[in-house]
Amino acid sequence: MYTFGIDIGSTTSKCVVMEDGQNIVGSSLLVGGIGTKSPELAVSQALEAAGVTWDDLSATAATGYGRNRYENADYNVSELSCHGLGAHHIFPTVRTIIDIGGQDAKVISLDEKGRMNNFLMNDKCAAGTGRFLDVMANILVVPVDEFAAYCEKSDNPAQISSTCTVFAESEVISQLANGVNMEDLIAGICSSVAVRVGNLAKRINIVPDVCMSGGVAQNAGVRNALSQSIGHPILFSPKAQLFGAIGAALYAYQKQVKK
Amino acid sequence: MAEEVKKKRPPLDPNSAKARLGKIAAEAYSSAQAAKERGEMVGWCSSNFPVEIPETLGLAVVYPENQAAGIAARGAGERMCNISEADGYSNDICAYARISLAYAKVKSAPEQDMPQPDFLLCCNNICNCMIKWYENLAKELNIPMIMIDIPFNPDYEVSDAQVAYVRDQFRAAIAQLEEITGKKWSEEKYNEVREISGRTSRAWLKATACAHYEPSPFNGFDLLNHMAVMVTARGKLEAAEAMEKLYEEYEENHAKGVSTFRTEEKYRIMFEGIACWPWLRVTSTGLKSRGINMVTTIYADAFGFIYDDFDDMCRAYCKVPNAINLEYARDKRVALCKNNKVEGLLVHTNRSCKLWSGFMYEMSRQIGEECDIPVASFDGDQADPRNFSEAQYDTRVQGLMEIMEARK
Amino acid sequence: MNKQELLACFHEAATSPRKLMDKYLAEGRKVVLTAPVYTPEEIIHAMGMVPMGVWGADIQINEAKKYFPAFICTIMQSIVELGVKGAYDGASAIVIPSLCDSLKVIGQNWKYAVKGIPFIAMTYPQNRKPAFGHAFTKAGYEYVIKGLEDATGLKFEDEKLAESIEVYNAHNAAMRALVPALAAHAEITSAQRSDIFKSAFFMRKEEHTALVNELLAILDAEAADEGKIRIMTTGILADAPGLLEILDDNGMRIVCDDVAAESRQYRTDAPAEGESALDRLASKFCAMDNCSLLYDVEKKRVDKIVEDAKAAKAQGVLVLMTKFCDPEEFDYPLIKRACDKAQIPCVLIEIDRQMVNYEQARTAIETFKDLL
Repeated sequence: MYTFGIDIGSTTSKCVVMEDGQNIVGSSLLVGGIGTKSPELAVSQALEAAGVTWDDLSATAATGYGRNRYENADYNVSELSCHGLGAHHIFPTVRTIIDIGGQDAKVISLDEKGRMNNFLMNDKCAAGTGRFLDVMANILVVPVDEFAAYCEKSDNPAQISSTCTVFAESEVISQLANGVNMEDLIAGICSSVAVRVGNLAKRINIVPDVCMSGGVAQNAGVRNALSQSIGHPILFSPKAQLFGAIGAALYAYQKQVKK
Repeated sequence: MAEEVKKKRPPLDPNSAKARLGKIAAEAYSSAQAAKERGEMVGWCSSNFPVEIPETLGLAVVYPENQAAGIAARGAGERMCNISEADGYSNDICAYARISLAYAKVKSAPEQDMPQPDFLLCCNNICNCMIKWYENLAKELNIPMIMIDIPFNPDYEVSDAQVAYVRDQFRAAIAQLEEITGKKWSEEKYNEVREISGRTSRAWLKATACAHYEPSPFNGFDLLNHMAVMVTARGKLEAAEAMEKLYEEYEENHAKGVSTFRTEEKYRIMFEGIACWPWLRVTSTGLKSRGINMVTTIYADAFGFIYDDFDDMCRAYCKVPNAINLEYARDKRVALCKNNKVEGLLVHTNRSCKLWSGFMYEMSRQIGEECDIPVASFDGDQADPRNFSEAQYDTRVQGLMEIMEARK
Repeated sequence: MNKQELLACFHEAATSPRKLMDKYLAEGRKVVLTAPVYTPEEIIHAMGMVPMGVWGADIQINEAKKYFPAFICTIMQSIVELGVKGAYDGASAIVIPSLCDSLKVIGQNWKYAVKGIPFIAMTYPQNRKPAFGHAFTKAGYEYVIKGLEDATGLKFEDEKLAESIEVYNAHNAAMRALVPALAAHAEITSAQRSDIFKSAFFMRKEEHTALVNELLAILDAEAADEGKIRIMTTGILADAPGLLEILDDNGMRIVCDDVAAESRQYRTDAPAEGESALDRLASKFCAMDNCSLLYDVEKKRVDKIVEDAKAAKAQGVLVLMTKFCDPEEFDYPLIKRACDKAQIPCVLIEIDRQMVNYEQARTAIETFKDLL
């Protein structure tokens, strides 16, 4: 049985085709989320990769901020549940998932069976999101995926402590003006995201194992700083960005089996 | 406190509790306007000021918080906030206060007009922000302010010293108002008002307690509308009668197996915080479309003003939700959750209300644990539409629902 | 000590409160923390303990985020942060007044965040002028006394309080004399001025009074230095080194202030007369005015700012707005208007306990300087 999950985020679209709720037989990841052509393209790419057609799919589920506007799926499920399911599939021992996406950050806690039993999301005014990293990348003219390399070379990360994105931006700009070197500045930016999300996680009881999901998980700079902030090692999978879509495909599978 | 504006509304039975309560709420404004036109003095009054005082004295009063909620629900929150912000008020200040200070300046808002005040009745049992807001109104409008200070109580019980302090202030406020308005206090009239207020309160408690039925005979969003009457008119006979009617209707609904929650009730939650008035429809639909009924809120408990004598009345006003410590506030909510078989708690982290939101993280953790229910929160504001994100709300409500679903 | 030694002494106390606390504890004294803005320190002193002011610190806030949403002022958040992190370990209790909504919530959170240091609420009346306000203030003090006795096993005696009132009134007088003396001596920087005020929260009052009086005598004997631009500050706090440095860099000096952590503390003495020392202390609170946290229907504070600025010949008023402090935010439009009317330039600078960068403030202050 093939099931399908699509995760339409604010900046990317991700799709996964799964077989019998076990194996990922095809996936895709495209830049461009809600309101772009990317979701459709991602669907066809994933199907092609799996060598199946839409009609071969037994059930489909959509998640992410674009889920409500995507009408082709059988089910609509929040990214909270999906990140939980997806992470549990990849790391069966995981109990706490920290997801930093484009627009928000979430901390999801699972019970020993992998069911979500609590979650928290960032304050609207907090700057601990992928969007913040993108804005900073633009200001500094350094691609986000190079951030980790800069962090490694930093000896003295800059302190960026403002509570809101706008203030943090002006802080970064003035640090730049004051001649703080790029390595320290980027390490400071990564750690400011990590500290903010780490503080969010403290409002929930953090039970290990802990893993990260979402696009920012790729960023080792943020990941290491986050691990330090919460005092637990953080599991990482190169599939971290697909957890939402994997979870959606699993959700569709579970619903189908129950039928 | 304000009616949500809907496109199609079926004709309402004028004898229904909803129609009668709506009429009482609307008359609160029109009768004050009429009094103003007759040349009588009109007061602006804070929501948890002892309404028994103006009612007994026969004074016309209107409620700025109620007005601000109405203005916000009808889409003008941002416009009014901009006016006071242009005068130098920080956008971090309570949006009710920003709207009200703007209204005192421009004196017109088609969304909800009300007469200008000749005096102010302020009580800080809901927050100290109230004092600052009314001080500024008094200064700007150059009118007298009567201030009853009901301090935040750090203990579970109200101390005798606090009761004495509040009682003396009530007596002083009465004397001050007699002097300002020329009206006279009558113990006989007070006893009458007290009895009616108790009757209204008892009916309200009984009506809201009907949520213990499964499914609940009402949509909890009804309470947000009906509480306007509890705030402004609970000392009036027609309010007591309308609340008793409301209770009857809820019992009838239950007997007939119907509800004002017009879809299948799949989940039952408690909503914590002031309504997000600018986004009332969005917040209500986000729940209803998923079969989530908000069966109770602290308001169900908050207006149970039942007391025997003057001292007891003072004590009741010391126990309003924002004047009590974490443990007492928590226990009230735990009781509501347990009595009404609540399966989840949805918390409005209200940017406008520092006091209500300031220890809510800790309190909602404790409620969640004690009741073994999931807790989700969203960021919003009681009247400033800029502090809310629809997508964020939707995801959090869905997340809460999915946990409740998994636990069934 | 000479002037520089005295200033160094204030600086040391202002920047190392923990060191002082350890010294008191080592001497066998108990320490009680006192939160902003007003607490009955005299009672703590009378019971033989050392009251130490806790107004937070310029630190990154992490642990307190578990308790507070982002829109609660960072003074409160940093107090809880320091409490959770153990910065106050060894204190016997904390007294927190309920003068604003954020102060009400910090007490509730404290009980769960910092379990080792008992929370004692000081509930003040806002209607403090009538007799019932006096009675309730006294009841509030009795509640604090009971809390302190329970927490420490020490006993309160009214006669001892009478002695402590003398100590505090003498300190008030010294601090009031300090403001015009510093105004006449431009060589003392804003940062040094802040150290003197800040150290008052940490040092035993007897010692602080003696040092301040010593400094006053030296200043009195020296020729006045009337250089620099004269400004007045108003707000809750004005102790951030990064901010004070900008004032010093721009040749500004504070000739008077309406800062809660500075002059507002010292305006009112306990009266000489009263049924008991505790009644005299209650009378002190009831007589207090001109503060954003004390009910003031006439907004006398606004007029007082203008009067004080004129009397001290301040060329401008610097409003240091603690972010999310609504009592201050409500007063600001009226202060601004009153200053405009009196033709005193007035500038608003938003500050909080998490600022590491003051570039925006620097720009504002530099522009303000051009206006003067």
